[in-house]
Amino acid sequence: MAVASLHQLTVKYGDFVALDDFTVDISEGCVGLLGPNGAGKTTLIKTLLGFLTPTAGSGSVLGTDLSDWRRIRQLVGYMPEQDCHIPGMSGVAFVAYAGELAGMPKEQALRRAHEVLEYCGLGEARYRNVETYSTGMRQRIKLAQAIVHGPKLLLLDEPTNGLDPAGRVEMLELVREVSHGKGLSVLVCSHLLPDIEKTCDEALVILRGKLREQGLIKNLKKVDGHPVEVELGEPSPEFETMIVQAGMPVIHRKLATYRLESPGSPQEALHRVLATAAKLDLSVRGFHVAERSLEEAFLEAIN
Amino acid sequence: MITLTGASKWYGQVIGINDITCEIGPGITALLGMNGAGKSTLMKLVTGQLRPTTGDVKVLGMDPFANPEVYKEVGYCPEIDRFYERRTGRQFVNFLARISGMSAADAKRRTEEVLEIVGMSDRASKPIASYSKGMRQRIKLAQAMLLDPKIILLDEPLNGLDPVGRRELIDLLAWLAGQGRTVLVSSHILYEVEQMTRSLLLLHRGRLLATGDLKVIRSLIDKYPHKVRIETDDAKRLAGIITEFPNIVSLRFGIDGVLDLEVREPDIFYRNLNKAILDKNLPVNGFQSPDNNLEAVFSYLVER
Amino acid sequence: MNSPIADLSYRNYDGPLSAPGFRWWVVAKTMMGMAIKKRGFWVWATMGAYWYFILLVMFYFMDTLTGGQINLMKQVIWPDQFVNAFSLAQIVLFSLALLIGIGSISNDRRANALLVYLGKPCSKADYLFGKWVGICLPISIVAAVPAVLFYFYCLMSYRTYGVIGQDMFLLPKILLASFVPGFFHASLCLGISSLFDQGRLAGGAYAGIYFISNLITKAIQVAYIISEHPHGRHSVGTPNPSLANAYYFAVDGIQIGLAKIIFQSDGGQLIVGSPKGGNGAIPIPSIGFILPVYFGICAAAIWIAYVRVRPVEVIS
Repeated sequence: MAVASLHQLTVKYGDFVALDDFTVDISEGCVGLLGPNGAGKTTLIKTLLGFLTPTAGSGSVLGTDLSDWRRIRQLVGYMPEQDCHIPGMSGVAFVAYAGELAGMPKEQALRRAHEVLEYCGLGEARYRNVETYSTGMRQRIKLAQAIVHGPKLLLLDEPTNGLDPAGRVEMLELVREVSHGKGLSVLVCSHLLPDIEKTCDEALVILRGKLREQGLIKNLKKVDGHPVEVELGEPSPEFETMIVQAGMPVIHRKLATYRLESPGSPQEALHRVLATAAKLDLSVRGFHVAERSLEEAFLEAIN
Repeated sequence: MITLTGASKWYGQVIGINDITCEIGPGITALLGMNGAGKSTLMKLVTGQLRPTTGDVKVLGMDPFANPEVYKEVGYCPEIDRFYERRTGRQFVNFLARISGMSAADAKRRTEEVLEIVGMSDRASKPIASYSKGMRQRIKLAQAMLLDPKIILLDEPLNGLDPVGRRELIDLLAWLAGQGRTVLVSSHILYEVEQMTRSLLLLHRGRLLATGDLKVIRSLIDKYPHKVRIETDDAKRLAGIITEFPNIVSLRFGIDGVLDLEVREPDIFYRNLNKAILDKNLPVNGFQSPDNNLEAVFSYLVER
Repeated sequence: MNSPIADLSYRNYDGPLSAPGFRWWVVAKTMMGMAIKKRGFWVWATMGAYWYFILLVMFYFMDTLTGGQINLMKQVIWPDQFVNAFSLAQIVLFSLALLIGIGSISNDRRANALLVYLGKPCSKADYLFGKWVGICLPISIVAAVPAVLFYFYCLMSYRTYGVIGQDMFLLPKILLASFVPGFFHASLCLGISSLFDQGRLAGGAYAGIYFISNLITKAIQVAYIISEHPHGRHSVGTPNPSLANAYYFAVDGIQIGLAKIIFQSDGGQLIVGSPKGGNGAIPIPSIGFILPVYFGICAAAIWIAYVRVRPVEVIS
């Protein structure tokens, strides 16, 4: 079942067409939303939430028509890109308030606020004013307020923006955990494609208001043919010449990693590579069937 | 190019950087660290905006603090993103050129040159308010290039850029480094750093945790044995052979014919593995090291 | 749950949910909760009753020290007392509005709080109405409580002096008049607040409007006292009726005007003494003039807020 389906949707800001005749079915699970700046990612999210009214077309979120935004927002959690909080509130009061705004009774909202804050890893800091929070804590509290009312679909706009490596890893683990086996689908929008790669199963690529590509990430990453990647300790020109002679043309080299055209099965290719390396007394430190990174796939899709 | 000797900086009682000694040479060097690790402080010391509390900072052999001679050779792209929003990018750069002491004609010529370098010549006539993050970043870089500096420092230049903008900026930085300039880039997005350089400067809570080439740093971390993952059609047979190798710390059977190993002295291990595969015709589909990357190195070092 | 080990990882919320019609009340309730946590609120709320304390003391001495033919209490015009108390509380109620209301939208704009509100099943109308009630109710209550308490005190102590006799409907009028400042400040606070990104700036703007317009009120008051002819309070030598109307072109003036209409009194008697003594009382304005202006301003302010509060920035 699709968590959201849009049919020939057009959204405009004045004369600027942000989404142009846009048709898509977003599937359950964790879906990444990719696209350059201004491609319409945030517009898509805001349309799903009913912030923007489409000028043409129709759509539904979790089986609810776009016009019934109140019901949609009941079922959807939204983590905006911008830093946001309610001024003058402590972390836990803020999250409980967000729960109350979603219709939870006061006591339930407070109980649930503590639960999701625990879950998002905000410890004692929850009793402090949100304005004193660091970037990482602000991202966590934004996630907490988005999931407090138990949504079925979570819309995350740049959840790892401004986080340091440790914070990024933790945030991605949180997103991955809530989106797998908890009955919660997630739509993540990010410029950091490795983040999408780590959390999502599927990706949508948007370009200039149009859907450019949609598919499972592992399919997007596939490369034509059967190239393999070989990692040596140090770059070696001799190896390069000899491996070509062995019938494996070099596609490209990055530092000491060679991407080679493979003649057949990986095992056969490995034997050729090892034989060549052995002649030169080099050791092969890595060998695997080549995949492109999501970033390469993305850059290819939009060009 | 840049030398720090026992440099420390404290803001009142708050730690900035603590006793850092290092040298930064030409090429791209990445400055890594968590938020608050002291990256920006280090940049400000090098650009002469701050004076170290103790220790020495030398840029091109001179003390950078309030030293115009140094300023001429150092270009700086700060992290903050504030402009005169209503002016155009060209006006902004030209204005800074005039402030740098160029004559009107020189400023005009040089402005066009740097805008050309950063690829903004055609777009610099629009007000800055309408620019995307990538364009703003380029304008910042353009103004840093005005005096044709030998050293360029960029504080979080890739923050918030989309993949296209990021790729273009990385290429631009590589080009600048290729001309023999010293480029110091701070970032906390590790995979971006990996695309730029292998030369690191890792700060943690104000201290210098590691410096040098990523590969060298990785091989020096003894506490965490080298991880190797092997995909094979016959895991049992392969495991039997591998356990004979010296320096195997652990071996674990994964699903779908995956063997996860931890080894010490990876050089010897790989040699043995290569030989075994060839000689015994083992059915191996691939092998690689999942922790031979910056992310793993970073977490190993920081969690220590 | 059969397993002895509980699963404490993320779970869904399937508990009860309230009806969507009352989301504005959540906003209002939270706003008021935050307002009464401010110490300044209680200071100003107490200050709002200052004139009633003065009256209390004055009436006590008038009642005990004078008697018989010259009993001053007999001269008290009760509606005038409430109009005056109401007028004199204006500055306090305005301060209260600055404290609890003026930052309501601007601070939210600064913190992008609107994205939180509108990301939940809560509409712009819910948000604005909740904020409005959250400002209106506390101000109205602060205006009403001392007045009502004072009324009942007088009813018990001075009934013989005409507390009921002069005006049967004094209590409902007091309650009605108490809502005048709440309604007005709440609307204006929303409108002005929505124009700024910082509460302080919005407060500065509102204070500017208040005091500059207040200057007009005071100037006309002075003009009245000077030009007044001492010939009874209903035949004051009104120099110019339009001048009188100008008195009401102020944040406090318009509310005082409305209060005068509600109490049907011009508040000419200050505590005691002959209304003919001439305290520079400005006549009751015409209802056809004040009411449209009052509601017009409120509606315009709310409309501004409604237009300014947007979940998406319009890209030009």
